[in-house]
Amino acid sequence: MSNRSNHIPPRLAQRILLGFLREDIAEEVLGDLDEKFYARLKAGSVYRAKLNYYYQVLHYFRPFAIRKSLSTHSNFADMFESYFRIAWRNMFKHKTYSSIKIGGFALGIAACLLISLFIRDELSYDQHIPDKDRIYRVVQVYNDNGEIKKGVAWPAPFATAIKQDYPEIERVGRLNPSELFGAGSNQIRRVDVLENTYEEGFTYADQQMLDMLKVPMVYGERKNALAQPNTIALSKSKADKFFPGENPVGKVMILNNDEKNPFTVGGVFEDFPANSHLTYDFLITMTSREFWPGEQTYWGASNYPTYIVVRPDTDARQLEKKLLSILTNYYLPLLKKEGAPNPEELLKKASFSLQPITDIHLKSDKIQDRLNHGDIRFVWIFGAVAAFILIIACINFINLSTAKSANRAKEVGIRKVVGSFRSSLVKQFLTESMLFSFLSFAIGILLAVLLLPYFNTLSAKSLSLPWMEWWLFPILIGAAVVIGIIAGLYPAFYLSAFKPIDVLKGKLSRGSKSSNTRSLLVIFQFTTSIVLIIGTFIIYRQMNYIMNKKIGFDKDQVVLLQGVHTLGEKVQTLKTELLRLPEVKHVSVSDYLPIKGTKRNGNGFHRESGPNADQEVSAQFWQVDQDYLQTMGITLIEGRNFSAQMATDSQAVIINQAMVKKMGFKNPTQERIKNWETWQIIGVIEDFHFESMRDSIQPMVLALGNSPSVVSVKVKTTDMAGALQAVQKVWKEVAPYQPIRYTFLDESFAKMYEDVQRAGRVFSSFAILAIIVACLGLYGLSSFMVEQRSKEIGIRLVLGASIQNIFSLLTINFVKLVLISFAIAVPIAWYMMNKWLEDFVYRTPVSASIFVFAGLTALLIALFTISYQAIRAALVNPVKNLRSE
Amino acid sequence: MIETRLGEFEEVILLIVGILGEEAYAFKIAEEFESQTSREVSIGAVHSTLTRLEEKGFVKSDMGKATAERGGRRKRIYTITAYGQQALSAARDFRMSLWSQYPAFANKLNFGGSM
Repeated sequence: MSNRSNHIPPRLAQRILLGFLREDIAEEVLGDLDEKFYARLKAGSVYRAKLNYYYQVLHYFRPFAIRKSLSTHSNFADMFESYFRIAWRNMFKHKTYSSIKIGGFALGIAACLLISLFIRDELSYDQHIPDKDRIYRVVQVYNDNGEIKKGVAWPAPFATAIKQDYPEIERVGRLNPSELFGAGSNQIRRVDVLENTYEEGFTYADQQMLDMLKVPMVYGERKNALAQPNTIALSKSKADKFFPGENPVGKVMILNNDEKNPFTVGGVFEDFPANSHLTYDFLITMTSREFWPGEQTYWGASNYPTYIVVRPDTDARQLEKKLLSILTNYYLPLLKKEGAPNPEELLKKASFSLQPITDIHLKSDKIQDRLNHGDIRFVWIFGAVAAFILIIACINFINLSTAKSANRAKEVGIRKVVGSFRSSLVKQFLTESMLFSFLSFAIGILLAVLLLPYFNTLSAKSLSLPWMEWWLFPILIGAAVVIGIIAGLYPAFYLSAFKPIDVLKGKLSRGSKSSNTRSLLVIFQFTTSIVLIIGTFIIYRQMNYIMNKKIGFDKDQVVLLQGVHTLGEKVQTLKTELLRLPEVKHVSVSDYLPIKGTKRNGNGFHRESGPNADQEVSAQFWQVDQDYLQTMGITLIEGRNFSAQMATDSQAVIINQAMVKKMGFKNPTQERIKNWETWQIIGVIEDFHFESMRDSIQPMVLALGNSPSVVSVKVKTTDMAGALQAVQKVWKEVAPYQPIRYTFLDESFAKMYEDVQRAGRVFSSFAILAIIVACLGLYGLSSFMVEQRSKEIGIRLVLGASIQNIFSLLTINFVKLVLISFAIAVPIAWYMMNKWLEDFVYRTPVSASIFVFAGLTALLIALFTISYQAIRAALVNPVKNLRSE
Repeated sequence: MIETRLGEFEEVILLIVGILGEEAYAFKIAEEFESQTSREVSIGAVHSTLTRLEEKGFVKSDMGKATAERGGRRKRIYTITAYGQQALSAARDFRMSLWSQYPAFANKLNFGGSM
């Protein structure tokens, strides 16, 4: 027994045991363990006894012996279940409040989700290309007296020259998508089929393009699909269309009925993805192709967009500078030979820019390349709008929660009095916020799915929710948690900070402390909404302005018959036959149209003599026939039209006013101009908008000539259907094997402004959405305000206040807030819309009336939202309100 | 619903509780188990089983006396309830019936009359 007092059970083990052991069995357990310890001590060493004590302690780590508050799992779940149940009950207790809160949030989330899809798609362009960070498009930059012009077309020999001169460049490839040389759209058929099919998406391409873009092939070899002369490569979808179930490699196809120049299919490539700036279905080889004698070595005509792959670790910025030597080595001799004045000065204005292939879709704003681009600014605007709508929705959430404080304050007070910790109150409120957030997300996702088709039309895309992607649900759930916490944090800490005594005394029953914050948030919401409303109005104004502005030609009742060049000589027959129809007023054969994106032909002109004869004016040079002016309704203001009777008219031109001005002519019909030939001016036409109204009207020169892919028919009856039938009948006789394909000039015209229209629709949709979300918040706020002041209103009514008094009492504060928002919104909207309008050379004035109108709209909508509650409050029987206590 | 069947380890512990009588508390039971079976067992395991037996209503417990070895702490004494007795005899009967059906031992051993 002597060593019993010397040795005691290990302290640490005891502490561990007490750390988890149920308190009510501690005494007996410690007693048992002591007995065991001393029994072991008697039997053997101290060390073994202590070790055994630890052993015993560890073996008490059993469910029955562990303190309940420590068994974290069940306890946490219990607590959460209770929080959740309370939150769930609260939600159903206040149905209006909950549905406003959840509905607003869900709308915000749906908008955000859709816009994220849009942005994701825009940013994904050309990201699929292997080695994309080494591939560039070569852009030429020309500083024309301060105006920066950017283009992508290069002379044919440019590619070979840079490949030779710069070891940094690994590969070079050219495209030629120009309609001038028969790219764009064509009639095509198998050699063994008679009927032509009209197809778009043709381009000439070097074999190198396939190699550098590593285009995946379905049939044939990538390395030689376009290597042979007169070969064509088809996209998979077109191969399936023309050669269903067959391997088309080696088969023969005929373009535009030209049987003398058949094309052999060299390969079938996987369709370019929708998110690629390359949208071609037919690649025609450029191998030994020459569009006119000497074309492939001529530096004076630029028709080839050129792409390069640089070797790894090449500094693109440095290469851009090095490329300048191309100008002196190749352009200078040419300019000197052709007698251009001051060639050195001219070349100083030119430079190179290497545009990463992944930038082409979004960052080609000022580059003339005739591709359909996205716009990085749109991505930003969309993103900002999405963020704003989400913020507005979050604000509602916070606002409604704090507004609710009066009602919840008592609950908080009582809970605190009966011993709730602040932390558990915070947890309770966060749980509620989470519940709301998750429900909102679920509804928001559902909404997004339902709205997706509409949004696709709006954005001209075919987006879908990426259900299959592994990251979608983690991201959505993560976002729901984060937003739930953020939106719940303020109410949670605000409400849980109430002092129970104050609350139970009724000191905080107004929740007045937060009213300043709440006002600020309301102002923010309405500022955003008003900016969006103003934006919508101005976009629509501009749209209207463009559509109704005098454009200088008559776009109505003109039918365009497309793809006529395959008829060959029979085009003239078609014209004569059409003119015989009583419904037809004029017919013109010319594929140059006053529509952006159609055939163009830029040329440099000089005065033949006189002052500034060495100054070059660049102008459009269009080949038309004698009937072009009448058919298009273009006004001749001086001189005469072309005439079939005058043989000299083959050397005559008609110019527009812009050309007269640029050339500085006093008597234009006395003058002659020259490009490679000399032309007599016989007439001047009024300027007409042949490009979009974003650009000013450029100089134009019309000459008689053959450009027969489009026949324009001016119809003189209002019975368009009847006229079309007659035209179709004529077509059938002249071209039995080619289906007719027609468009309308006014439709093509409207199409030019599709992006403006789209912007208008997108803006108005978001403006409406923002207003709805903001109004939901306002509705919620006003209903709580009315609830809180119900006694006051009752007393006022009893004392003789009129309904109008009560109404204005309740609305005046909100009106003030909307007015403040308006004052803030005006300068913001003014600045933003002026920035947007800068894009247009011809633009509608931004007048004050738009702003006033937008402000009034917002005010009316706000008043309308509040007045339901206000009127209800004013009409209620005051006795009802006053009797409650 | 608490399970009322008697597990094998439970049966042994319950028997030991009956054997020890006044001295049936967790430490002693564990010691007795070790000496009877030569198998080691932790007090915690025994205690856990006792708690379970109590939940099933086979034993009841009361706080007993404190002794010096225990640092002046009391012990919890377990006693078999009538229900526990029933469960024990039912378990024995069941086992007997199994033994008697086992051909290798049937009629060779006579458990019958002695108990």
